[in-house]
Amino acid sequence: MTQWVWEGLTSGIRTTRYPAREERAPGVSPGRPRARQGHEASRNAVASGCPTDAITAGEDGSSIDYRHCVHCFRCSRTTSPAVDWESGYEWAAESEMARVAHRLGHFFRRSLNIRFVDAGACGACMGEVRQVNNPYYNMHRLGFFLTPTPRNADILLVAGPVTLPMQQALRDTYEAMPPPKRVVAMGVCALSGGVFGRGAAVAGGLNDVLPVDVMIPGCPPPPLAILHGLLVAVERKPPQPLISLSGGPSR
Amino acid sequence: MDESIAAPVSSPSAWAAFGDEIWQGRVRVEQVGSTNVLHCAVDKLAALCERLMSSGEHMFATLVVEDEGAQLLLTYVFYPVKGGAFTHVVIRQPISKLHVPSIAATVPAADWHEREAADLFGLAFDGHPRLGAFVLHDGWPESAQPMRREFDIHDRTSVPSRRDVPEPNRSLDAPGSFSMPVGPVFSDLAESAHFRIETLGEDVSRIAVRFFYKYRAVEKLAEGQPLDRVLLLAERFSGAAAFAHGLAFCQAVEDIAHVTVPARAMVLRAILAELERLRSHAATITGICNSTALAVATSQAAMIEEDLLRLSAFVTGHRYLFGMLTPGGLAIDLPDELCRQTAAQAEMIARHMARLHRLLRQSSSFLDRLEEVGATSSAAAALLGLVGPVARASGVARDIRALFPYAAYREYPPQVPIEMQGDGYARLRVFFREAAESAALMARLAARIPDGAVSLADIALCQGAALGAVEAPLGAAFHWVRLGADGRVLRYHITPPSFANWPGFQFAAEEFAFQDFPIILATFGLSNAECDR
Amino acid sequence: MNAIQISLVAYFVLAAAGAIAAMLVSAERNPPVLAALGAASSVALIAAGGTGLVADTPATFAAWQFLPFGTIRFGVDPLSALFVLITGAVALPVSIFSCAYLRRYQEEYSLGYFGLLYHLFLAAIVLVLLTRDVFSFLVAWELMSVLSYLLVTYESNRDDAAQAAFVMLAMSEAGMILAAGALLLLANGAGSTDFAAIRTSAQGLDPGIRWAVFLLSFIGFAVKAGLVPVNSWLPRAHPVAPTNVSALLSAVMVNLGIYGIVLVNLRLMPPSGTVPGAMMLAVGSVSALIGILYATIESDLKRLLAHSTIENMGIVAAVLGAAMVFLADGDDLPAALALVAALYHLTNHSLYKALLFTGTGAAQTGSGTRDLDRMGGLIRGMPATTLFFLVGSLAISALPPFNGFVSEWLVLQTILRSVVIASKPLRLIFALSGALLALTAGLAITCFVKVFAMGFLGIPRSREAARASEAPVAMRVAMGLFAAACFLLGILPTYMIPILDHVVRELGGSSATAALVPPFFQVGVGGGHGLSAAFVSDFHAIGAQAGKELIPGRGLVVLLRGGASNPVVFAISPAYSVVVFPILLGLVFAIFRLLTRGRRVARRAVWAGGLAHFAPALTYTATGFANPVRVIFQAVLRPTVNEQTIEEMPAFFRPAVRRELREIHVVDRLLLGPAAMCLRGLGNTLRRMHSGSVNLYAVYVLATLLVAFAIWAGIR
Repeated sequence: MTQWVWEGLTSGIRTTRYPAREERAPGVSPGRPRARQGHEASRNAVASGCPTDAITAGEDGSSIDYRHCVHCFRCSRTTSPAVDWESGYEWAAESEMARVAHRLGHFFRRSLNIRFVDAGACGACMGEVRQVNNPYYNMHRLGFFLTPTPRNADILLVAGPVTLPMQQALRDTYEAMPPPKRVVAMGVCALSGGVFGRGAAVAGGLNDVLPVDVMIPGCPPPPLAILHGLLVAVERKPPQPLISLSGGPSR
Repeated sequence: MDESIAAPVSSPSAWAAFGDEIWQGRVRVEQVGSTNVLHCAVDKLAALCERLMSSGEHMFATLVVEDEGAQLLLTYVFYPVKGGAFTHVVIRQPISKLHVPSIAATVPAADWHEREAADLFGLAFDGHPRLGAFVLHDGWPESAQPMRREFDIHDRTSVPSRRDVPEPNRSLDAPGSFSMPVGPVFSDLAESAHFRIETLGEDVSRIAVRFFYKYRAVEKLAEGQPLDRVLLLAERFSGAAAFAHGLAFCQAVEDIAHVTVPARAMVLRAILAELERLRSHAATITGICNSTALAVATSQAAMIEEDLLRLSAFVTGHRYLFGMLTPGGLAIDLPDELCRQTAAQAEMIARHMARLHRLLRQSSSFLDRLEEVGATSSAAAALLGLVGPVARASGVARDIRALFPYAAYREYPPQVPIEMQGDGYARLRVFFREAAESAALMARLAARIPDGAVSLADIALCQGAALGAVEAPLGAAFHWVRLGADGRVLRYHITPPSFANWPGFQFAAEEFAFQDFPIILATFGLSNAECDR
Repeated sequence: MNAIQISLVAYFVLAAAGAIAAMLVSAERNPPVLAALGAASSVALIAAGGTGLVADTPATFAAWQFLPFGTIRFGVDPLSALFVLITGAVALPVSIFSCAYLRRYQEEYSLGYFGLLYHLFLAAIVLVLLTRDVFSFLVAWELMSVLSYLLVTYESNRDDAAQAAFVMLAMSEAGMILAAGALLLLANGAGSTDFAAIRTSAQGLDPGIRWAVFLLSFIGFAVKAGLVPVNSWLPRAHPVAPTNVSALLSAVMVNLGIYGIVLVNLRLMPPSGTVPGAMMLAVGSVSALIGILYATIESDLKRLLAHSTIENMGIVAAVLGAAMVFLADGDDLPAALALVAALYHLTNHSLYKALLFTGTGAAQTGSGTRDLDRMGGLIRGMPATTLFFLVGSLAISALPPFNGFVSEWLVLQTILRSVVIASKPLRLIFALSGALLALTAGLAITCFVKVFAMGFLGIPRSREAARASEAPVAMRVAMGLFAAACFLLGILPTYMIPILDHVVRELGGSSATAALVPPFFQVGVGGGHGLSAAFVSDFHAIGAQAGKELIPGRGLVVLLRGGASNPVVFAISPAYSVVVFPILLGLVFAIFRLLTRGRRVARRAVWAGGLAHFAPALTYTATGFANPVRVIFQAVLRPTVNEQTIEEMPAFFRPAVRRELREIHVVDRLLLGPAAMCLRGLGNTLRRMHSGSVNLYAVYVLATLLVAFAIWAGIR
């Protein structure tokens, strides 16, 4: 066993300094499109043929709804792009309800127990949420812990487009959690159904099933975006807008 | 297939037996491209399939059911275990008579395929003892058959009615026995699925599984959609193997269009596929370390996985290689220099993995928990049609890259590692050895990348159907695509490796101690997102 | 006539009245009549036993010349009085319990017949205890055995009753023959069948004879006590017998096996060597472990309790063996301690086992099942029964503040007293036995956690259990009486020990009261007890005398004094624990309330991993709970698995299997089975002699004559 102790000690500290400092390592995030200003962008937006209709034409430029953007890169790889590509990972937004009435307050600033539920997530969201628990991102240092039972959970973290059999399971899980409790939806699927849309098999977003407080867009949201979402849930980081409008960040 | 109805093949002696003498004209042999198509009368199906399997040369790949309105077309796909031509056994059943003889008794690998088709099409497979309650769960409307033409997947009005799904069959009837339910919501970061551990306490005798909690009806969603849209589904139904599944879809489309992608795209595709395999295996190894609660090893493996994710994003812009593929090639070109850097980086990471493997081999407490756990015999692996690393750990060396080379694998054949023990440790060794081979293969591929375009300018889409076969990280993936005249997808059927391998897990997880359950689960490394679709 | 005689006459009159009334009154009125007369006669028994116990002088109050068997005598001494007292104390609530329990038989069986047998059976037991000579003892013993057989077969429509009762009768008769041999050897040595005469002459017996007497009596009476390896009848007879009869079998009749052993080996023939005692210690410890092992893996509640009876009798026998070793070794104080422990445990076992049997009867009446795998959740429908059963479970698990704790604690302390013995092999046997008994105590807790949790907590595992309703009043009264007795004996050992001391002094000579409940706790007594005044005053200061002014007694602390270097070997006061535990619990609760004030408690459904349908089949069963024990002790239990496929389909579909796990009791497997096989083989051999040929028979006659002549000639 000593070899493992040695191995662990000699690995050094690999953990990101986020949120104290910005993480600049390459490959931590795929980035995402940002609305571009100007009539040309507005015209290109119409022609972009965004497969999930995330990009629409605004009055003076394009507009992007992050609830639908699945990082397919189609918009950025054309010769006449309607968008700019931005790096970064602080993507999480608050729902209307959360802003008005659902403050978790100072109680959970130091310690927060999270129950994760897979509501039909593809392996990518699963992989990213597993990474949050691992040395590079190590959410424990921020006071975030996974809990095996909803009985101890403060946050319900959900990924996936919410398949039919998981809808009742989600409600049961939420019901089993003691208040105060908040719901964080991660991944485009959990926000809008993503490429699976809405239909008989999937609810097309968690909002139809549970009251969502924090939304983390991305397909999949990288680990740092998930961390940002959790920090937003406990008000340690400001939320970001969910829709990118040309003419500056607003809703 | 439609345009090339040929005369019965008589020359290859192997097919002579399928002539009139034995089958009394009930089986008609036809050659479509390189595929042998056996048109078969319904009553001869079981005998024909048994005949195909009896030689030991064929393996069952998938069952594709297509709704043609008035009739259902069933294609049983077999592939030769030593490479060569696929064999399709085709039967047609009018919509008024949805009874088909079950072949599961002679072709065990078809068991789950028939159960799936029964739920999704309302087909009755006569003689199959375990139909129903497979894909569709509570919440699906009574008698819904989602894959039939008339079912509207976008219609949510009929959803709220609940069918009363009976309790899963208890397969252990012993005084005082009980089932321990696990899932669908797990206590850790596991995918939604439900296991019933049938036990008398401590010793588990059987595990009953209930899957398809994650059924998103991907195949149904693809119908009527343009290729670009379906490609998004192919990549995203199982994000952990996005590139492999996207590739299988693209290959099927390219096959229909009778086009060959440029040589440069072939090589780049293989490089990216191996990068994905490396990352997927790292994730599986992380899971295995985690299942034995070896914390430092778990952390080390997880860091390797994250290194590979960052490398992927560095090369392609996306951590899971989304958006790289397009029918006819790749969406963007990668500079040669970048590819070489990537391969060098991958080899360095592979050295980290080798070091981790060495440390694990020296940890007897870790090996104790893996050795002789969840053993699958070679015979069982072959019988159940297991694929990928799981089958290779049981001595069944089937690798689509070697059997039916695609991309650049014909010029750069991979070395396929094989282990004979079939236990958890054998599977771990296979994962490590394959990961090492993937890195080596990347280096070989990146050394000589042909110049030229990375994508065909335009593909003339035509009507037709084809099967795309790819060795995904977890094993063989078969994507059946049928395109309509308008270039849209008429039928898309995915047979992912996890779907083929879960029955193997069920067999390996019998008569064991309860604490080995997560270990057996982890060494199979299967994905429910991939299986459930 | 003195008080004892008056009580006994009253008892026999009431019992006779009960037996006659049972034959006369209608089936409808039979249960209350049985309960009333049974209870009344039991009160008379308690009075007789109580007065006999404290009288201190053995009384013989009837003697008839009855040739050719000599003089027949009846009498009471403290030993038999204690057993009479236990019999009465168990019979009183059991009679009340029967009032409600017997209703189930009204349609199918004759209640008059039951009443007759019930009263006669109890009377036969009392008779065994009152006899003072070998002949009447054996007659009464036989009467008791036959009546118990008839009671066990009362449910004659059951298929399994006849065979189980036959095993019981056969083993009982075999034991009886051995025990009779022992008693006749003693009578032969004394030249008289009178117990008093035997006692005076036993010292002069030849060592060989003494050995024979010990072995014959120990094995013979061990059958009745259910010690391993002659225990096989117990787990067979209990499940088929009516539950009130089971209570009497386990709480009263098995005691007589111990009575027989004590009577012969301590009372009539005081031990002179240490080996017999050591053998008893070893056999008792092994019995205890085997008993609790099978109890732990059992799911039929009555059979489980029967196995637990084997365990408890094993404990009693082990401590009695220890007492014999100490007596033979000349260690009078440890011997007295051991005897107190044995008799205390015996008394306690009778009370809590009767409580658990009546509780089982109540649970079965309420829920229709006594299979733990089909019970569960009875606490909702049967809160009172559950509470009483909990008391019984705590008591039998030896947890304070109930009686099992005190006696089992004394038992283990006694085994530790082996330090006074010089012989190393003996100390080794004590150490091993102590380890076995400690393991037994641990398994007992496992076993009864299983019983209580699987039977009464959780969710119902069958429709019957879900519909369970509270047991009738009579049953609750009976259980309440037992529970109260378990509680009182648990907190007031300082009052019980002096009572038991009457028996101890009679058997061992030394006083346990003086040793265990020293007089220095009494007001105004000081000095002369080997302890420093400061030490004693400290004990006074912490309230060792509380209750002294209210009830006459010797304080509430049981304390064994050691030498000067170690003034106190051990000390307990369960009475204080009753005061202190609630205070501590209240404190914890108060802190908890303080920390959680203002919080609202919300009740939610069971969390089952988001499962849509949660079912009882998904919860642990009693079998599952005990399976780790089954796995650990596989070498002893040797379960055989019988598996068959119950679905017709190819093997790879994994058709459902029916699996039967059978454990043949280790004794049956290694001893009873082979023995039965040998007997059958012998029978077959003998049968071959009966060829039917006249010539052959003539040869037999001739051969017999020749042999007889040869013997005659030899004697001449």
